[in-house]
Amino acid sequence: MGVKAELGATYLPSEDIVVREIEGELIIVPIVSGIGDMEDELFTLNETGRAIWEKLDGRKTLGDIIGDLSSEYEASPGEIERDVIGLAEELLKRKMLVALRKD
Amino acid sequence: MSEPFISSASLHDFSLWKRMELKRLPFLFDLEITARCNLNCRHCYINLPAGDKAAEKKELSLEEVREIVDEAVSLGALWCIVTGGEPLLRDDFLDIYFYLKKKGLLVTIFTNATLVNAEHIRVFKRFPPRDIEVSVYGTSAGTYEKITRRPGSFAAFRRGFELLLKSGFNVRLKAMTMRSNVHEHHEIARFCRQRTHDFYRFDPFLHLRYDRDPERNREIRSERLTPQEIVSLEQSDPERFQALQEKCDKSVMPESSSAEIGQLFLCGAGKASYSISYDAMFRLCASLWHPDCVYDLRQGDLTDAWRHFVQRVRGMSSQREEYLRSCRVCDLMNLCMWCPAHAYLETGQLDAPVEYFCQVAHARAQALGAAERSSPSPRH
Ligand code: SF4
Ligand code: SF4
Repeated sequence: MGVKAELGATYLPSEDIVVREIEGELIIVPIVSGIGDMEDELFTLNETGRAIWEKLDGRKTLGDIIGDLSSEYEASPGEIERDVIGLAEELLKRKMLVALRKD
Repeated sequence: MSEPFISSASLHDFSLWKRMELKRLPFLFDLEITARCNLNCRHCYINLPAGDKAAEKKELSLEEVREIVDEAVSLGALWCIVTGGEPLLRDDFLDIYFYLKKKGLLVTIFTNATLVNAEHIRVFKRFPPRDIEVSVYGTSAGTYEKITRRPGSFAAFRRGFELLLKSGFNVRLKAMTMRSNVHEHHEIARFCRQRTHDFYRFDPFLHLRYDRDPERNREIRSERLTPQEIVSLEQSDPERFQALQEKCDKSVMPESSSAEIGQLFLCGAGKASYSISYDAMFRLCASLWHPDCVYDLRQGDLTDAWRHFVQRVRGMSSQREEYLRSCRVCDLMNLCMWCPAHAYLETGQLDAPVEYFCQVAHARAQALGAAERSSPSPRH
């Protein structure tokens, strides 16, 4: 299904979504069909999700992101790794994230 | 993991709405990309001929649309209604549409469906609109074309409409009900309900022209149903009648009791939405065409219009005795089409009662058994 996230891989937001910030909230608006169940479905990220999302810039690997977050947050590295992988896989499943191809 | 990282909601259940409204962030705007139309409906409040070169020249260019949309998005817009005239008449309709989508807006399109083609369908399939609202004027060529005054338009409508339906888009149907099609009202309702389940509404309120053209206004008035006809249509639609009852029970708009004495705008105009005309005129709502209430975006910008101009308009008041004694304190306001914008279109004044509206409101009140709640209308 291609929804396994890999620690050594680099990911970036898909071009099929637009990310908006309104009133301090991050809103993901799908622009193509097949992402939401309805044509007017909007997605928001919780605080943890958002902290991870902001680092998914197409340069850092998931491993790098876990390292960064471990130095910024109290949580244990194991917990952070679970969250990062969990969010990445959820976003991949929803086609909101794509893996950067290394040529 | 205790709470999900990501949650979703449809536009109407979106929790941010309320917060945006409280902060007066405009999440919705109408964009009339043309006033021209390939049809020429008897009741139309806006249309100019499809080949009207002068009107075409005044239209927002694609570049201007982009600038306005960029600003709208940075002010917080999440939803845009693209309307006209007939929006599909513009050669660059798909460029405009695509730009709106790419900016992360949900897009609703109002169309008569007669110009829908395979290219539109292809683009909409990949980049779906939130919904498409199609106007239905009749279920027979005779009735439909009596209204549109374009031979062949019924066949074009059926073809375009079927294309949209077949492709599975959210199609909402709206039937304007008037003298020339009221005999077909029940068939139109059946036709619409068979095709769209819960997305059908009829509208017996014909608005006067935005350009106040006296000839066309006479025509629109002659298409209007009588107050009694309107009420009996509403009574024949249980859901609609129920909604009216609820409105009536709520009595007067909550804001009107706390508002300043002469305040004109008791509605939501300019609180969370606005409207932009084909020739770059910003208004608090689509019908608000009083010269003191329009802002030319070609001489200013959207941010200034939203931040400063809206406040000025919403602060307008009237000290006219007639207004202060009638509409301003009217118990039937919730059942009435009266608002300053429509009052201006009907009478040339923002603060004058409108006899036809008054009659409809009273007929509605009577049907709802609220006749005892008297209106202080000076006309009765
Ligand atoms: S299709 Fe709509 S815009 Fe065109 S003339 Fe009819 S009502 Fe007006
Ligand atoms: S019912 Fe008459 S007085 Fe009351 S708001 Fe409507 S037009 Fe004004």
